[in-house]
Amino acid sequence: MKPENPFVALLSLLVGLLFLSPVLYSIWMSFQTADDFYAGRVTFTLDNYERAIGQFNFARYLINSLIVSGLVTVLGITVATLAAFAFARFRFPGGDLMFGATVATLMIPSHISLIPNYLTLAKAGLLDTYAGLILPAISNGFACFFLRQYMRGIPKALDEAAYMDGATHLQVLWRIIVPLSRPAISSMALYIFIAEWNNYIWPLVAVGKQDLYTLQIGLARLYRINPGEGLIDWPLVMAASTITILPVLLGFLAVERHLVRGITMGAVK
Amino acid sequence: MIRKLHSTIAASAFALFAAVGTAEAATTVKFWHTFSKTNGEALNKIIASFEAAHPDIHVEAEFVGNYNDLVAKLQAGIPARRTPDAVILEITRYGLFANNNVLTDLTPYFAADPLKDDLYDYAREIGVINGKNYVVPFNSSTPVLYVNKDIFARAGLSADTPLKTFDDVLKAAKTIQDKLGAEGISGIGAPGQFARWGLVMSNDSELIDPKTNKILLDKPNTIEAYQWMASLVSQHKVASPDGVTDEDKGNAMFMAGKVGIDMDSTGSYGGRKKALGDNLLVRPMPCNKVCSVPIGGAGIGIMASSPKEVQDAAYTFVSYAASPEANAAWFAATGYLPINKKSAALPVAVKALESQPGIDVAINSLPYAHGRARATFVTWMRTTEYKVWQSIALGQRKADEALKDFAEQTRKESQRTGN
Amino acid sequence: MLRKLTPYFFVAPLMIFIAVFTYVPILTSLNLSVRQWNFLTPDMPFVGLHNYEELFASAEFWNSLKVTVLFAVLSVPLRLGAALFIASRLIRETLSSRLLRGAFFLPSVTSTVSIAVVFSWVFATDYGMVNAILHLVGLGRPQWLQDPYLALWVLIIVNTWRQLGYDIVIYIAGLQAIPQELYDAAAVDGGQRFHVFRRVTLPLVMPTTYFLLIIAVIEAFQVFTIVNVMTRGGPAGATDMLVNLLYEIGFELFDIGRGSALAVILFVLLVGLALLKSRIIGSKVHYEA
Repeated sequence: MKPENPFVALLSLLVGLLFLSPVLYSIWMSFQTADDFYAGRVTFTLDNYERAIGQFNFARYLINSLIVSGLVTVLGITVATLAAFAFARFRFPGGDLMFGATVATLMIPSHISLIPNYLTLAKAGLLDTYAGLILPAISNGFACFFLRQYMRGIPKALDEAAYMDGATHLQVLWRIIVPLSRPAISSMALYIFIAEWNNYIWPLVAVGKQDLYTLQIGLARLYRINPGEGLIDWPLVMAASTITILPVLLGFLAVERHLVRGITMGAVK
Repeated sequence: MIRKLHSTIAASAFALFAAVGTAEAATTVKFWHTFSKTNGEALNKIIASFEAAHPDIHVEAEFVGNYNDLVAKLQAGIPARRTPDAVILEITRYGLFANNNVLTDLTPYFAADPLKDDLYDYAREIGVINGKNYVVPFNSSTPVLYVNKDIFARAGLSADTPLKTFDDVLKAAKTIQDKLGAEGISGIGAPGQFARWGLVMSNDSELIDPKTNKILLDKPNTIEAYQWMASLVSQHKVASPDGVTDEDKGNAMFMAGKVGIDMDSTGSYGGRKKALGDNLLVRPMPCNKVCSVPIGGAGIGIMASSPKEVQDAAYTFVSYAASPEANAAWFAATGYLPINKKSAALPVAVKALESQPGIDVAINSLPYAHGRARATFVTWMRTTEYKVWQSIALGQRKADEALKDFAEQTRKESQRTGN
Repeated sequence: MLRKLTPYFFVAPLMIFIAVFTYVPILTSLNLSVRQWNFLTPDMPFVGLHNYEELFASAEFWNSLKVTVLFAVLSVPLRLGAALFIASRLIRETLSSRLLRGAFFLPSVTSTVSIAVVFSWVFATDYGMVNAILHLVGLGRPQWLQDPYLALWVLIIVNTWRQLGYDIVIYIAGLQAIPQELYDAAAVDGGQRFHVFRRVTLPLVMPTTYFLLIIAVIEAFQVFTIVNVMTRGGPAGATDMLVNLLYEIGFELFDIGRGSALAVILFVLLVGLALLKSRIIGSKVHYEA
């Protein structure tokens, strides 16, 4: 890294803070009481978090979001990896067509399936269940495409050596391809997790039971149905918002470079 | 690390599924409603006392949102079979469900219930479509005109300032706006949909003819009433647009002491009294051309899809909710009208009438209160009206053009739904 | 025999999910779009193209299309201009530029609902951040989200704030691909900074610009969350973007036929845009090679 002018560094820091100031201020605000916020006084309280977690069920929403995003990521990656392996390593009748169909899903906007998926899951009795939230999100054409491209870069000689030793296809996939595709798989896992964590329209229509709300739905509803008798309790809402942002924020700080690389690769391809 | 995370997730998922499966005693009645805050607390008390009296029935109540939210959730729930057993239904919007056989015909239950003789005629009438009883009244209301006494005093207006005609109301609102606008106080709250309907009626018109279901949205007097309401926001600027884009925010502004005059259901009396205390003054709605107010509120219906024994249990609850004890407590806590002739004599109601000035304003308006249309298309009309009102109030469209278009659309919709 | 079937076992799970939740729904939507249904009636009568006619005859649809196009037209130059400017400042690999990239990128992985809620406060009439500042300097208190002319701008600002980091990252990748010799050559010619930018940078990042432009337009046609949380399409339809209208028709008015017709129209529009995008990416890859 190049050495730099301390003045430029300071200026950059200021610009960054200014850009993020709405969110930073909202986090700050979440530690004020509503009365103090409206009166313009400065205090410190954890009361808003206590209320958001206790009275307004945000602990439950957090668990729901973790379960749904976690399972969508695990299942989505598994399904995409299996298919990517076949597309990368086998030539079979219909293979190109199926790969084409997979890639074509990237162009298909999700809202076209909103009403039909609602009806499908309604008929199956799966609305208001975790399965109803998870199933429509599992197939991910982009992840499959991306992994297939990556796997094609892995020398075939490695597979062949393993087959010589009597390995099955699954063993080759699990022992050779998956370990070597780790960077691509983790990029995609992250991408799926974040997308699912922030998913809004589908949980909005698929979930009516409060116990199954994800954080996004819980937050939108808390904001809309102002729980107090008077003006909106901004500090409470901001505490809930901070709970919603925090897990992804921490994850992001841990893996930022990874993510940026994945996104750049995805865009250029 | 990852493995540990997985097993944690698996464990919590298992715990959640296990919790869903626990057995429950006797009959459970799932009940969707629209009451939160003050009114929600009052409802929970009624449910608790019902459950104490009927230990074999458990009422699982869920607050869904406002009437509009509830209707949407119910309709969305039909193909998914995720519906409750009993449900609060606003009295102009249940036709859609009654006419599509979603609601049980309660006529046999009602005929066998001594309750039917105790209900006031106005209340009993709202539950009937084509001679069949689909909902039993629970919370009946008319709109009233709330005044913040303190704001009136500070603006130099006396508590008995005439507020009979549109001009009277505008004049008072202007006085407040001129004197106190700089402090962030508005003269009047933008009328919500129930109040808008009331103001149209006080201008000697209707949105839909209650007897013939004829659409009167483009009648000159309807247009005139909308023009006046919109002028409060866009021309005279005595009402904040906050209440136009979000009715609940408008109410909150009044509760926070930032609005002088606000027209809304008598059912919000309890919450407003709590918020403003002695500063709350209740006056009757304006009588611009005539004295006429709509009867609003909701009743409880029972879903046709629920099993018979659950329907029976649900009706037991529905009947209890309209009983003198429950109704008197409900009236005293919320300000909704007494629907049971025997409620008013009970101590809790007597006390409320004595100690809560203004809670009787709606009762006194009953002689000129009228039921409204409840045809299938009214649900559609009311959902769509919000957008039309916004466009008029915010000066995007002229009232006459917007309402003529709206009337045409509504006529089409009424043909489509076969009403 | 079994060996031949192996690849099919591998692709089967994905194919099943794609079929059930992506491809069959397109057919279902087509089918529903020629029927009349509100979830309540047992049957759904065939009405031909009536739903499409109704849609094309309704002021709502055209308003929605107009608002969406306006959103795209106003937000694209804002996004791309700001992103290119910032990217060209952050192209060097220093600590502060890395940190700033991180700061700009943060919103694009943050919950959209949270962003919408936070900005509802930022632009709140009373006690909001923007109005507190404006009031301080004596500029009054505009009613951002209640004003039909301002509300769309607020959504554009919020959306730009959220997406900017993504655009910057892509631009940086594009800028870094430009060979240093070209800059040097332009500098030798005695080019001023702006001259170099106009003659070298701008044309050479054109493929990236096209790519981002189409992405931004496609996104504009899919904006929903911020509308649903911040304005619900109001005031007076001023932010009633297409997907929001679809949600209203489908899940508030339950006009399933008309909602499906709108979904089909949107589908055709977006697939068209996506095809355009893949042609441009094709040309970009070609260009870089």
